[in-house]
Amino acid sequence: MQSSRNRRPGELGFNLFLFGVSLFLFYSAYGISGFEALSAPGVVPMATTAVMFLSAGRILWDVLRRPASDTETLARDIIPLPIIVTIVMIALYAVLLRPLGFIPTSVLFLFVMIRYLSGHSLGFCLGTAAGTVALIYLIFRLIFSVLMPQGIVPEGEIIAWISSIF
Amino acid sequence: MDILSNLLMPVVDLKLLGLIAVGTFAGIYVGAIPGLSVTMAVSILISFTFSWDVYPALALMIGIYMGGVYGGSRTAILLNIPGAPSAIATAMDGFPLAQQGRAGEAIGIVTVVSFIGGFIGILALALFAPSLSDFAIRFQPRDFMLLAVMGILLVGSLSGESLVKGVFSGALGIAIGAVGMDPLTVQDRFVFGIDELRGGVSFVAVMIGMFGVAEALSQLHSVNTPAVKQKISRIIPAWPMVRKHLPLGLQTSTIGTIVGALPGTGGDIAALMAYDYAKRTTRNPETPFGKGAVEGLVAPETANNAAVGGAFIPMMTLGIPGDAVTAIMIGALFIHGLNPGPMLMVEQPHMFWFIVGSLMLANCFMLLFGLTGIKLFVKIVELPRTVLIPVILVLSIVGAYAVNNSVTDVYWMLGFGVFGYFMKEYGYPLGPIILGVILSRLLDDNWRRAIISEQESFGGLMRGIVSSPLSLCLFTVVVLIILSSTPAWKMLRRKRTA
Repeated sequence: MQSSRNRRPGELGFNLFLFGVSLFLFYSAYGISGFEALSAPGVVPMATTAVMFLSAGRILWDVLRRPASDTETLARDIIPLPIIVTIVMIALYAVLLRPLGFIPTSVLFLFVMIRYLSGHSLGFCLGTAAGTVALIYLIFRLIFSVLMPQGIVPEGEIIAWISSIF
Repeated sequence: MDILSNLLMPVVDLKLLGLIAVGTFAGIYVGAIPGLSVTMAVSILISFTFSWDVYPALALMIGIYMGGVYGGSRTAILLNIPGAPSAIATAMDGFPLAQQGRAGEAIGIVTVVSFIGGFIGILALALFAPSLSDFAIRFQPRDFMLLAVMGILLVGSLSGESLVKGVFSGALGIAIGAVGMDPLTVQDRFVFGIDELRGGVSFVAVMIGMFGVAEALSQLHSVNTPAVKQKISRIIPAWPMVRKHLPLGLQTSTIGTIVGALPGTGGDIAALMAYDYAKRTTRNPETPFGKGAVEGLVAPETANNAAVGGAFIPMMTLGIPGDAVTAIMIGALFIHGLNPGPMLMVEQPHMFWFIVGSLMLANCFMLLFGLTGIKLFVKIVELPRTVLIPVILVLSIVGAYAVNNSVTDVYWMLGFGVFGYFMKEYGYPLGPIILGVILSRLLDDNWRRAIISEQESFGGLMRGIVSSPLSLCLFTVVVLIILSSTPAWKMLRRKRTA
């Protein structure tokens, strides 16, 4: 079934990567305890990585035999610009989460992403971003006491001030 | 009379009734939000209810538990992001139904069958608790190992078009589950000198990355396509539809109850096993599995809700938790001066019947709250994707972070999200990866315990399997599952049905 399909852009590279990773993991699994004993900690990792290696080889063989697609391109069909931008934005979010804190990072992320994807007005994007973050903050931080990174926002003081009002 | 009065105590006491209602309602939403787990909510409740009387404390926890297991299906159907691991199988056919504009119908079916599954599990708890716990306690490491092998064989059902890609994904999942310090020998496995890897890879980060981020990235291909208009004219499924799937629901409820009663397993494994069972036994489904088959919703949802009642069986009769939530509940009972186990059943049977009554009531509230508010809930899917996708991403990030308060988990989630996206693009199924991660520890620990108990002799292990009726029964099921996947078996079956 698979072999009747043309090879998609990047598919060969991805499967070569998986084949290489499987081989490396098998080697690492062997390094855990070798063939020391059937109950050794490396037995299950070795067995599973061997299965990975063999199946990755079988898949690679299948991919190699298929003709490359002439209707698809890597930039248009596999990793178009919105996907690259989104991945970069999530990575930036993760990097900024601790130094800036949950609230500003999330508002910034949502604002930029909604603006980039939808092209709505600045007010709409900011309102949606702020409203969504407020709701998430209410559920996670205030109801379920999940400690989100505070960063530059003095959340503790703000919560204490709100509590003192009531 | 005593039994009846304890059974009905949560119904006649308005305070308890209200607490179960509030707990179930909150549980549905806790279960629906990825990153918020029932285990987390019940743990938090212990500190809140520390000074309460034991009955209201348990009533609230039971409500949250029952609602939470069901709630995981909501986001699985609407967004393809399971709110809880027990809803992973539900996403496989629930999300395709939402894409066809039938999210309301899917949630309606799931609610009704969850109620049926929950009812069967609680009934088993009430009627067969001592005998079922006796059965569960007979499980040796080799039996748990065989159970894990049975689970791994589900890869065939979750593989979609290519079995070999499913096998690769499943093996990758087991390898991911093995990352970190080995609990038996404290030896590092796949750690590569990175300290953060010693504690293993967060299962929730893998799940949210593979399902949430990968799905959001995939949807960016059609970001400007208008959202599918949802048909919400019929929410409550018609009786003929329920009746048609009742036999399957009863069978998968039994699977759920038994798996739930086994210590160390839970609703997630029960749901996946039930899905596989449905796929193997359903002849000519109206819609193929993976494309929106109703049987693909009935099986996992009856099983994971039945597993709730099942999980209480070893807890109440032996003092052994059936899953993570019942482990916390045992702690709560200890705090309130009670000692779950065989003596609790003898000395304070009223507690057992109170729990059964509370579970039954929570199950009824789950049906009530589950069937209301669906119209509002399905509107989420109709939001423009340009807004919905960034919100899903933020929820995914917060969910991954919230489990361990760790930014490293966010990086894992992103890594698995991007990797999962490419796997999806190139036709690799993601379900087997999660299956592998779930079963990795069960397989690894019990294989080693089983082989150690036979002095490292594989022959001894096989002799042990053959000489124990329970092990032999499980082994036969494993062999039958393997045989049923062979072309010869399929040809034979086609000939018989022709």
